[in-house]
Amino acid sequence: MTRRRISWQPPPPAAPGTRLRRDPRAELEGRPAPASGSSVLGEPIAPAGRVRRDPRAERQERGQSGAPAVHATEPATPALAERITVVADPACWVLAVPDFGDGRLGSHDRDVLGAARLIADRLGGATVVLAPRACHEDFAALGTDRVQPVTLPATYDPEWQARAVLAAIDKLKPVHIVFPENLTGGGDVGRRVAAELALPIAPRVVRLTGAEALSAAGSNEYIRPWPRLLFIAAEAVEPPNGARREARVLEELAPITAPAGFEDHGLVAIDPASVPLTEADFIVSAGNGVTDFAAFHAVAATLGAAEGASRVVCDAGHLPRARQVGASGTLVEPRCYLAFGIAGAVQHLQGIAHCERVIAVNTDLHSDMVKRADLAIIADAQAVMPALIRLAERRRSSRAV
Amino acid sequence: MRFDVAVLVSVGRHPVSGRPQRADADARALELALRLTQRDALHVIHAGDPADLSLRDYLGMGVPALTVLRQPPGVNVLEPLASYLAQLRLALVLTGTQTEQGEGSGLLPYALARRLGAVLVAAVTGVEVIGTQMDVLQALPRGRRRRLSVTAPCVLTVERSAPVARQSAYARARRGTIEVLDVPAGPAPPPSARVQPARPRPRRLRVATGGSATDRLRALTETQSAGGRQLVHPSPDEAAAAILNYLVTERIVTGLDES
Repeated sequence: MTRRRISWQPPPPAAPGTRLRRDPRAELEGRPAPASGSSVLGEPIAPAGRVRRDPRAERQERGQSGAPAVHATEPATPALAERITVVADPACWVLAVPDFGDGRLGSHDRDVLGAARLIADRLGGATVVLAPRACHEDFAALGTDRVQPVTLPATYDPEWQARAVLAAIDKLKPVHIVFPENLTGGGDVGRRVAAELALPIAPRVVRLTGAEALSAAGSNEYIRPWPRLLFIAAEAVEPPNGARREARVLEELAPITAPAGFEDHGLVAIDPASVPLTEADFIVSAGNGVTDFAAFHAVAATLGAAEGASRVVCDAGHLPRARQVGASGTLVEPRCYLAFGIAGAVQHLQGIAHCERVIAVNTDLHSDMVKRADLAIIADAQAVMPALIRLAERRRSSRAV
Repeated sequence: MRFDVAVLVSVGRHPVSGRPQRADADARALELALRLTQRDALHVIHAGDPADLSLRDYLGMGVPALTVLRQPPGVNVLEPLASYLAQLRLALVLTGTQTEQGEGSGLLPYALARRLGAVLVAAVTGVEVIGTQMDVLQALPRGRRRRLSVTAPCVLTVERSAPVARQSAYARARRGTIEVLDVPAGPAPPPSARVQPARPRPRRLRVATGGSATDRLRALTETQSAGGRQLVHPSPDEAAAAILNYLVTERIVTGLDES
């Protein structure tokens, strides 16, 4: 495949007395040089946006101040992390609207902040994050220049959220607004905004290049110059690299009136067995080390977990094929995966690669599953399962009394 | 009181062969509507080419008739649809989240809801009607469901989390009628995007930084130790307590903490 040249801009003139450092890759991607307003406590910024170090000057400074010579292997990152990039007068604003599911920034939200950072860097602008007032994230470490606080309702109300975004757009006039692409979060709110303002959008952006967004749809990809609204797919853009930014908190938006229409009755308790394995929140899984399947089913029922199994167990017919976890079964990503008697074949570990927490109960101390686990119990599953049921029942009944 | 429901259907695309077929999400929307209302209060509407054979798949699901607003390919159907729906005085509009052919921006339901002055709920898996109030079950990630009350009129979008659509019966598909309405064509959208065949994109790898090259290679290829806690040969009760306390502190289960 031939590489396509997107656009080329002439490099900015070099300062007097210095030689211009070229960045062929940035030129190929059509990235402009950093904005003239950017500075890191007077330090120059490389074209890629990272702070350019001058190790020789640093060594000389150390020598003059009489400080002991620092060993060469000592990491220089703590000193770098202290530096804060300040964009005082940006050319434009890029607004990021993360979901804040469960009140925290998720990994998809971080990708959205990364996309906003990427766009702002190429336009010489600054990023603003629309965040609930009660949010206490370290936005400075996430490459954010400004934080726009807003008061949002505790219940689900996408119309209200859309009005908050509209108010922020009205106040800041951002050139681009970036949302996470999903069904019930930012993807929903952003499309309400797009319908209200009749703005073009780029849905399901899987890649951001120099000045273009690449949207995936079926077996095709649609490439267009960045429209005003971008919906970033999960894992499409790297999250910000950790260089600290100012994250100055702006004045809060004026109170937004709540439109009528939604009444939120909260989450509904559902039968975990009815949920597909890919969607399950908590999975209890059985491997070859499990022989007592009555106890296994009882554990899953007691803890309210979905049932999974390794290939061996499904081959033996103890559980249906739809419950198989692994490369040849289902790739799952629950918040917690409790594995009984699973040694952790490579194919099985691939299936649980995106699990947040893994608990393993296994007799083999040196198995891969035990290595992978956040909590490993080296014991026989047949002994642990009844004890787990007994303990859960006892605690539940003591609370009920 | 008559409770009129409209289902907006489109022509889908087989995920592998690319042949036209009924769109999965639209068929699920029709399934929800068929469970909800009488056949005579159900309007199934398509904007596009009335000669498309895959529209008969919807008739085969047990709908006697289907209305097609004749539109040339590639136009924005918001205007014709909105003016037609406004005449019907609907309580509910059900539709798929996005089209399967073309880019599928997913904006049409939102623009329609705005034109009709209706409330929109996305990712609906179930509807129950109580007077003019509607009890709607919304699908959230990780299999969670949220219950909402909305007032008619409303637009509900449906996707894969909704109940699977019933099979299409061939005889019913042949018997059903397609009513064609000639309405003014919508405006052609400005050409804005270049199209290229999709490439598979790999999932992101956690790239290890620092250390020697051997360390980085090992981090990518070997099972990484999570550095977790290990209990070697505990008694069953100790093991059970450790597991349960971990689940409680990580808030995986509730109501099982030590009292």
